Amino acid sequence: MTAVVRISSVEKIYPLGKTQVHALSGIDMDIQEGEFTTIAGPSGCGKSTLLNLIGCMDVPTSGEVYIEGRPIAKLSDRELTKLRLEKLGFIFQSFNLIPVLTVFQNVEFPLLLQGRFSRAERQQKVSALLAEVDLTAQQSQRSSELSGGQRQRVAIARALVTGPRIVLADEPTANLDSATGERIIELMKTINRTHKTTFIFSTHDPQVMRQAGRIIRLKDGKVVTGQDS
Amino acid sequence: MSSQLGQLRLISSVALRNLWLDRFRTTIVGALIAFGAFLAVIGLSLLNDVRASMRASITQSVAGDLQIYSANAKDSLTLFGGSGFMGRTDIGNLPNFALYRDEILRHPNVAAFVPMGLDMAVLARGNELDDSLDALRSAIKGEDSAIIAGRIAQVRFQLEQVGLELTARRQLSADQAELEQQERDLKVAAAPEFLQDASKIDEAKLQFLETRIAPLSGEKLPTYIQYFGTDIAAYLANFPKFHLIEGAVLGPGERGIMLSRKVRDEQLKNSVAKLFDKIHKRLTKRNQSIAGDDECRRFASDLKKQYQQILSYLDRADAEELSRRLTDLGIAAVGGDELVQRLSHQLTLFLTVDDSNFEQRYAWFYANIAPKIRLYEVSPGQTITVRSYTRSGYIKTLPLKVYGIYNFDGLEDSDLAGVLNIMDLVSFRELYGQMTEASRRELDVMRAQVGIKDVSAENAETDLFGSERPATTVAVNDIRKAAEPLSVKPRLADHFDPQELQRGLALNAAIKLKDSGKEEKTQQELIAALENRGLKANIVGWQKASGIVGQLVNIVGGTLVFALAIIFLVAFVIVNNSIIVGTLNRTREIGTMRAIGAQRSLIVNLFLAETGITGFFGAVSGTALAVVVILLAGRLGIPAGNDIVTFIFSGPRLYPRVHWAVVTTAPILITIVATLASVYAARHAAKIQPADATQEKE
Repeated sequence: MTAVVRISSVEKIYPLGKTQVHALSGIDMDIQEGEFTTIAGPSGCGKSTLLNLIGCMDVPTSGEVYIEGRPIAKLSDRELTKLRLEKLGFIFQSFNLIPVLTVFQNVEFPLLLQGRFSRAERQQKVSALLAEVDLTAQQSQRSSELSGGQRQRVAIARALVTGPRIVLADEPTANLDSATGERIIELMKTINRTHKTTFIFSTHDPQVMRQAGRIIRLKDGKVVTGQDS
Repeated sequence: MSSQLGQLRLISSVALRNLWLDRFRTTIVGALIAFGAFLAVIGLSLLNDVRASMRASITQSVAGDLQIYSANAKDSLTLFGGSGFMGRTDIGNLPNFALYRDEILRHPNVAAFVPMGLDMAVLARGNELDDSLDALRSAIKGEDSAIIAGRIAQVRFQLEQVGLELTARRQLSADQAELEQQERDLKVAAAPEFLQDASKIDEAKLQFLETRIAPLSGEKLPTYIQYFGTDIAAYLANFPKFHLIEGAVLGPGERGIMLSRKVRDEQLKNSVAKLFDKIHKRLTKRNQSIAGDDECRRFASDLKKQYQQILSYLDRADAEELSRRLTDLGIAAVGGDELVQRLSHQLTLFLTVDDSNFEQRYAWFYANIAPKIRLYEVSPGQTITVRSYTRSGYIKTLPLKVYGIYNFDGLEDSDLAGVLNIMDLVSFRELYGQMTEASRRELDVMRAQVGIKDVSAENAETDLFGSERPATTVAVNDIRKAAEPLSVKPRLADHFDPQELQRGLALNAAIKLKDSGKEEKTQQELIAALENRGLKANIVGWQKASGIVGQLVNIVGGTLVFALAIIFLVAFVIVNNSIIVGTLNRTREIGTMRAIGAQRSLIVNLFLAETGITGFFGAVSGTALAVVVILLAGRLGIPAGNDIVTFIFSGPRLYPRVHWAVVTTAPILITIVATLASVYAARHAAKIQPADATQEKE
């Protein structure tokens, strides 16, 4: 197995007034292709910071993050953006759909950004994914007309539409009731299995943690244990 | 291609939906841009109209397309509303304009060269008794006894009025001796036998009346007139705004003046008629009322004091008749049998006008009184005396026959264009102080008569004061007795040789172009051509030549552009601020877009699209509204509120047109500028980090 994500001696320091906050220090880990990994830990332990680094939304203060073997610390904003678009998919705690667009348009959005698919190809890809997340009937609705679970399924479809190697999810069930949350994790798991997509998600919900193939526990910016379930 | 279209569709659909979600802000920004576009289109269209109409006003009345004048001018040429000393600008002169003309006419784009000169002078004015005596003098020449009798009756009636004035003055005058002398003179003149026999009214009697009696009836203030001298034939051929109203135009070689209707109406019209006209104009053209308008009230209050201006033109029979008609009108005669007193009282009552009786009195005045009085001091056919201060400082008096009354079409009500009277160039040269051939001959005759000889500087003392001899005193009365009646009328030929117009002095000249679009180019070429010939002169465009009035369009244009700049600046500050504030609410949305792979440029384009769309719709609706307003104004006309505006509008109303060049370019430019103006705010929005996508809503 090859590591799709490799994190090597990563440190992330945020300035806070005259002091510095060590959000992450001395992180080393590999995440293999097709893993279904959760990053767990209490609030403020550095989960989001770590996900941001893996998600190429931020760069480490020192150390290096490799995505498919490619180091990101020296990349420009433009290159990081391209990397996110091509290799990564994102699922947010608050779904983060674009409110002015319909379900279909939200899912189509990353394909339009990629700019290499015809209208028919986009139509086909988006429809297939909407069927997979069971939202074909809602494709013309706006996100404000959907329930929380439906919104998160739109977000999952949007994250998958470009066929990313890695999907990052920041507390994907935090804003959902437990039954819906469970169904979302179930859906992610199914996709992980069928598409061989690597999933990395953060949570502090033990119920959700149990679903993960691997749990990486963080405390005060450091990895406590990395455990395969 | 399809995906680029897709991205464009994405940007525009997100932009449109955001604008819709934020419709309040969109409406405010759109309305602001619409307002700016409205002002820009209206302003620029009007500016184009005004420029065209003012160009017509100026170039077709006096200026031509270009003006040439001396390179040694102290002031710059100002055809309208001159700013020099007493309104006289010193622009030097072209001693022989033919040199310049010949060179200028060689240019293929020059259609005509019209020599000119602009100046001002005093118009000498007598009082009503002077006028009556003048009339009597010409009646005696005409030898028609009925007319002579009529004139004598008029003079006698006026002498009666002078008598009443002297009686009134007795209580006020400090110099009783002088007053007694005046009364004695009047007694002589008013004696029945003095004017009884027409055959015995000789020059001595007329001069006695003119010099001793007429001054008792008061002096009129001298009036200044502005005029320009020109080659009349060339002028008429090239200036289509000239319009003759009464009389005739000056023919070739004829010496004389054509008065502006406005000058005659405002300075040389009977003051009762003038006040009636002024009130009538304010009531009808400005929709004022006498009670509600200060100006009208002032005119009305002046009007009732002007009965003398009617009375002094009447003879006894006319006065009796008028008194009777006024009684019929319901204005009863009180004040006893004395006709002058009775009619004075009646006229005062008649001239007391208010909103209820004005129109009736106005019509009655023109139907019953105007035909009996002299409505204008000067009419075509008469000769006026013009007195100018020449450039060398002495006074030059010139009698000029009034040929006609004219105005400039479309500028009938404009004071600026209406002050100019037009005379032949030869008379102009004389008033300017240049020796013409005619005046040189006249001077030679006078020298011969009086025995003046040239005095050289070396012999001046001997020649002027001679050898010593005892001084003698001569009593003033002896001089009076000894003096023969002097002929004071200058003797000048009525005609001149038209060849004099082909050369000689002019102050400036109008140059008419075949293609006025090439004004600046031709101007440069003419200056160069003159320089090649070693000739120096100022050549200026019509706008500069016409003085401040010509610059007015530029000033108005500058102000408009400045105002538009301020409006757009404010609009763009608001647009930018609202975008920046808007990004605070949209941080998560923008962060999400960035996180899932949108480049910064897409965010910039999204925001530019939003202002571009708002700008476009704002600009188009503002422009559409402006077009509607222009069309409406084009049908109704914009009234010129005052004289300067009348001049600028080239008439009492401006009928604006839709300028499609303005209508099509303004919205496009405004959209582009609005879009570019939001680049800063858009770039600010694009700085939002992808990590901000996870920021929770507050």
